[in-house]
Amino acid sequence: MLELNNQYTAMKRRIDTEVLKLYFDGRLESDLDKLPYTIIPKDRTPNRCCIYKERAIVRYRIMALLGIDIERNDDEMKPLGTYAKEVLEEDPPVLPLLTTISTGCYGCPPDQYRISDACRGCFARPCMANCPKDAIVFINGQAHINEERCIRCGKCMDVCPFHAVVHIPVPCEEACPVGAVRKNEQGVVEIDHKNCISCGRCARSCPFGAIAERSGLFPVLKMLERGEKVTAMIAPAIEGQFPGTLAQIKASLLKIGFDKVVEVAEGAAVTTEHEADEVVRRKCEGSGYMTTSCCSAYMELVDKHLKFLDERYSRAFSPMIYTSKLCKEADPDNKTVFIGPCLAKRVEAARRGGVDGVISFSELAAIFMAKGIDVREEEAADLGDTSAFEYCREFAVSNGVANCVLSRVEDPASIRVMPINGVDKKIFRLMKSWEKRAPEVDLVEVMCCDGGCLNGPGTIVKPAVAMKLRGGKAASPVKAVRSPL
Amino acid sequence: MKKEKVQVRICVGTACFVQGGSDLLLYNDFVDPAIIAECEIEGCSCLETCKAGGEGAPYVQINGEVHGKVTQEEFARLLAEAVRKNA
Repeated sequence: MLELNNQYTAMKRRIDTEVLKLYFDGRLESDLDKLPYTIIPKDRTPNRCCIYKERAIVRYRIMALLGIDIERNDDEMKPLGTYAKEVLEEDPPVLPLLTTISTGCYGCPPDQYRISDACRGCFARPCMANCPKDAIVFINGQAHINEERCIRCGKCMDVCPFHAVVHIPVPCEEACPVGAVRKNEQGVVEIDHKNCISCGRCARSCPFGAIAERSGLFPVLKMLERGEKVTAMIAPAIEGQFPGTLAQIKASLLKIGFDKVVEVAEGAAVTTEHEADEVVRRKCEGSGYMTTSCCSAYMELVDKHLKFLDERYSRAFSPMIYTSKLCKEADPDNKTVFIGPCLAKRVEAARRGGVDGVISFSELAAIFMAKGIDVREEEAADLGDTSAFEYCREFAVSNGVANCVLSRVEDPASIRVMPINGVDKKIFRLMKSWEKRAPEVDLVEVMCCDGGCLNGPGTIVKPAVAMKLRGGKAASPVKAVRSPL
Repeated sequence: MKKEKVQVRICVGTACFVQGGSDLLLYNDFVDPAIIAECEIEGCSCLETCKAGGEGAPYVQINGEVHGKVTQEEFARLLAEAVRKNA
């Protein structure tokens, strides 16, 4: 996956902020069509082939921010202002979450192994000896790969002492754990929405920005604009994403018009209690391993690809759902908006209901920037009594959920834990094998993003920075941890 | 007389922070420790340059001079230069 800070994310933040500035100024419909020209001025040195293409992609990014399904509703003749008008009148449907920008796709050639001229044509020729398909041939004293025979196993790359074999992947296809990203006949990226688990890996790994997530920002902004009472539910991962303390983040949220701010850690405490009960009960019954259920992308994964895990995941709802319930009990008239690092949470909210909106940290940052709010300058708001659920702020970090559950179990040493820290192709294969051979543990903690929610697709800072700002509170590896590999 | 350390202020206003300034806070990982020893590095509130139409976030102030669009490499280079001048 790409480093979080790159030209593309910088551009994305800029676009988000500029669009919101127009919105808050009441000039969205009238001036939105000028934005691609102000963001990509005539004298810019383009990163793509030309400024005209860059402007076209800016246009598509704006459409994604408006929440438009670009794959199906792309009308090049329609001005952005008209799109904005429609979105302000009626919320577009949430699903499918991801959308492709076909114009942006480079059409990368299929994933391949290639032997560079670093090959010395050595005597031992381990590439040739280890190739299971006899695909390596020597021409003029240099190794070559016979494309027709190659099965892309990568063995030659592993054994070459000169590192002469290079792997040239297709970043989006490589990133998708379930093989839902493919090329169509024109060689342009296509997402198979029936199989997509909305983890957002592809969107983060395309260096051309050809896959975008459809934002849920405008439905939320409209709620605030209409003066509705909205409760902001902030995910545990928010700590460290903005400069300043949690209390200052709360103050900033109140300033942009939220009625109340509630930590999702509060709902996480409920999830923890349920899961702790359940894991102990299953252990007593001897019914085998249980997995956590708080990762939305994982729940999609079970639903679409790992049906046999249906009876394995915890029956506890996710922290977001519990928190929303608590909020609605406290203030029945309030709407609830989840603010987190996750894209898949929007899918969960749409499928399960009970949550009125989901936005990401980076979208929240765009609101702060457009409104000129500096979190660090805000006067700290009162967080209330957090002692009951403080420990659940750890939910955002790999191992954190398991730690919380174990802290609520009478005999934590008896529970064997396996953390799944990031679901990629390899881990997906491992999980598939559980159907035949169950892992010998009691609790499997599944997080689809490497490192936990702290490294989610909607985050702003690198996990290392977030960790530092959280006071280095990395979840200490739980006792009796077994490595998944 | 003990010589003055180089005064470094990294802007951690929200705009700078989310546009790459947060990366600079990892300075221990990418700047030579010998150079860090010669500097006094602190986070600071908005330097107000962004509002005056500066060249772009994130901003860093080194001995009173404000630099814009500072990447990690740029930051390491600027510090080394400032330390050399200071010697």
